[in-house]
Amino acid sequence: MDKLFRIVSFICIMAVAALAQASPELAKALPDSTVSLEDVSFSHIYVFIEGGKKHPVGDLADAVDNSFYMGLGFRYTYWENFDGIILFQYSYFEPHFDVPRINGVHEVSGKLGLDYRWNMIAPIVFGAGFLCNWTRADYDGDKKAFDFNNDYGATLTDNETEFGWFARLNLPVFTYGNYRAGMNVSWEQLWTLPERSNMLVVGLYVERRIW
Amino acid sequence: MFSFANKMAFRAVAFSLFFAVVTFASVDAEMEGMEVDQRDDGTFLVGSPTFYFDRILGAGGMHSESELWSPAKLRQRLLFNRMSLLPSWDVHEPSIWMKTGNELGDMIYQDFITSDNRPSNRTPILEGGFRTPGFKGFWVTGRAFQDDHFSTANMKARKKWVSDEFAIFGENYPLFSTLYAGGGYSNGTVNVSALAGEEYLWLFSESSRWIPVHYKPRVEARADIENLGVTVVYEDAEYQNKSKKEAGERKEWNGSLRYRCGAVCRKGVLQLSAGLAFRMVDDDGTVYTELDDDRVLLPFMELRVEPAKRLFAEAMFAINDRDWLVQDSVEFRPATPKNSGVMLGVKNISGTRLNPLADNLEFFDGDTISLTAKGQMNLVQGYTAFADTVGNVGLGGRGSFWAEHGAETFAVKEFVEDENMVYRHGDVTRINSWIRGVTGELWISTWYGNMFAFTALGGFERVDGNDDRFEVTPVEFFTSFTADWLLHKSFRLSHSLRYRSDARWNLRSADPLVVKGDWYWDATFEQQFPKYGLFLTGTLLHVLGDEVIETPNGAENRLRFVCQVKKTF
Repeated sequence: MDKLFRIVSFICIMAVAALAQASPELAKALPDSTVSLEDVSFSHIYVFIEGGKKHPVGDLADAVDNSFYMGLGFRYTYWENFDGIILFQYSYFEPHFDVPRINGVHEVSGKLGLDYRWNMIAPIVFGAGFLCNWTRADYDGDKKAFDFNNDYGATLTDNETEFGWFARLNLPVFTYGNYRAGMNVSWEQLWTLPERSNMLVVGLYVERRIW
Repeated sequence: MFSFANKMAFRAVAFSLFFAVVTFASVDAEMEGMEVDQRDDGTFLVGSPTFYFDRILGAGGMHSESELWSPAKLRQRLLFNRMSLLPSWDVHEPSIWMKTGNELGDMIYQDFITSDNRPSNRTPILEGGFRTPGFKGFWVTGRAFQDDHFSTANMKARKKWVSDEFAIFGENYPLFSTLYAGGGYSNGTVNVSALAGEEYLWLFSESSRWIPVHYKPRVEARADIENLGVTVVYEDAEYQNKSKKEAGERKEWNGSLRYRCGAVCRKGVLQLSAGLAFRMVDDDGTVYTELDDDRVLLPFMELRVEPAKRLFAEAMFAINDRDWLVQDSVEFRPATPKNSGVMLGVKNISGTRLNPLADNLEFFDGDTISLTAKGQMNLVQGYTAFADTVGNVGLGGRGSFWAEHGAETFAVKEFVEDENMVYRHGDVTRINSWIRGVTGELWISTWYGNMFAFTALGGFERVDGNDDRFEVTPVEFFTSFTADWLLHKSFRLSHSLRYRSDARWNLRSADPLVVKGDWYWDATFEQQFPKYGLFLTGTLLHVLGDEVIETPNGAENRLRFVCQVKKTF
């Protein structure tokens, strides 16, 4: 039933979207701007550094503890009310329970998405996108020492990558000249099995405009 | 790279041809040559990047579409008896690109809390490549690509047959892994290129066995000079089965020569193209297949005639000392109001073999499997199509009736099971009776400028006959809903939601393998910066569908995500 519900919902959404977009009046309401978009894209680029904490949510809190993260990111103008965002973050997770031979896991997260400057919640900016996390256990020994079918953490002794999505709120707190500082709160989900992995991420950033 | 403008141009052409259905979703394929995984108008079953069954609507009782040779496939790869785009050695346009992806469902941190029913490992996709802009016409290119998806289900058995990881990167025993580099020269009338590289490939054979082949090196040279196209390939292929201590080597030269009807020729009443395809092999040791006389030459000719206004006839003949193959059609397009059209046509495919370039014998566990059958096959098909547009809405359909005698099939002598794999002994043979089919498809579409397009389609095929020993019983029903947005001329969203009914493999196991009907959703999201030639793309494939094995001895078609960064020059 769950799949049927998703399929029916999807068809309805696509049908409504089709009707809406086929209507010239409604289409006019869509953001098809008169400004030359090619001039907006990349008209400004910003670089920022960030740092904060990642909190595993739900069952994942039994797997790993909270962790600090640090990152480097870029923001660029895309459309009039949209910015593109590219993030690279590093964190080191320690298992919540003792896992033999594995002290922790290195994680490098790459994210690509869009920030929308939505008037209703200004000055907060809403963003979303896809993410890709690379992970590998902090373990230098022979991975054949692990039984992949039974030993906890065994798959992490090799390179592992997984994709997912994120949504975030970006609150600029302080702006001075080409500099800006603020706070990010994001929810990220990795498409793992047997359950999806969710984390709440809270961080601070300092940003400088490049051009 | 998908271009919305190109798609709309394609749609305009399609309208003019009254084949208005855009059968490929515009969702990006995970790799060139895997577009069939997003098709919706027939039976498309994917077991690996190097083996899929692609039977278009109304394809008769024949095997898959890729087993039917045609001059259009001259520069495709011959994978056992199929012609395949993948692994493509077609040089890209000047650009630099990177692609990666994964079958979703690795455990990552869930590994620390999952003790029972631990999911099997998920595998990635990797690609990187470049081609420089021309410097006085000269350019260089390089590309490394492999698709580890579909590799896990049969990995345990396959890894025993090879002496190393059998890939350029990693330990997932991917079904192909390719690295090449080379250079070329291009100007308005001349395109010349030469590439050399190394490749690991697993071929799926008639016995249902995976055959590992290591090309070291593979060299391909192409020249297109005005209307003349030449391709020459040299392959030094190493064969092995470590567990049986077997080893062999095949040195192969293959290629083609083709004269295409040029601009002046196309103005004539009779339009003529011709060419020659060839293969020459030199086997040493255990190679598992054999080509009669170690060579095949296949001359061919293509004709197009317009004997009367609105009447078009096309024919392709290919013939050599062993086989012949003819494909021809006659179409009538009566006068209709603007933006609408009707077409009536008949087509025929006859031949002693669907792919006259393929090997003739396979050797499997002491058995010699004949890959050719005596006699010939004849497929006749009558078809009609119509399209009409009113404002921003288009409606169309197509239908056909087909009958085939002598369809290629396989006479099974025995099935053998080993390590969760099932193999077959026997020979390729024919269904020496008539089988018949009727097909139909209807579609409706709407669009707004070049910002939005939506198509819904549904179709069916009913097959009947005294003898239905088909390799695959095709799906009976399919439907799809496809939508493309191009927002602000710089953000592309392409979706397709598809359903197909059950398909069934009949001849690869004692109990037929039923591929249950299911829904699938695919989507591509792309940030475009046309001014900078930059494209950031993410694609989700096979969402919603159950993750099932679609071909015998193949691997699960899993939900996966692929992303790409591309900068054109």
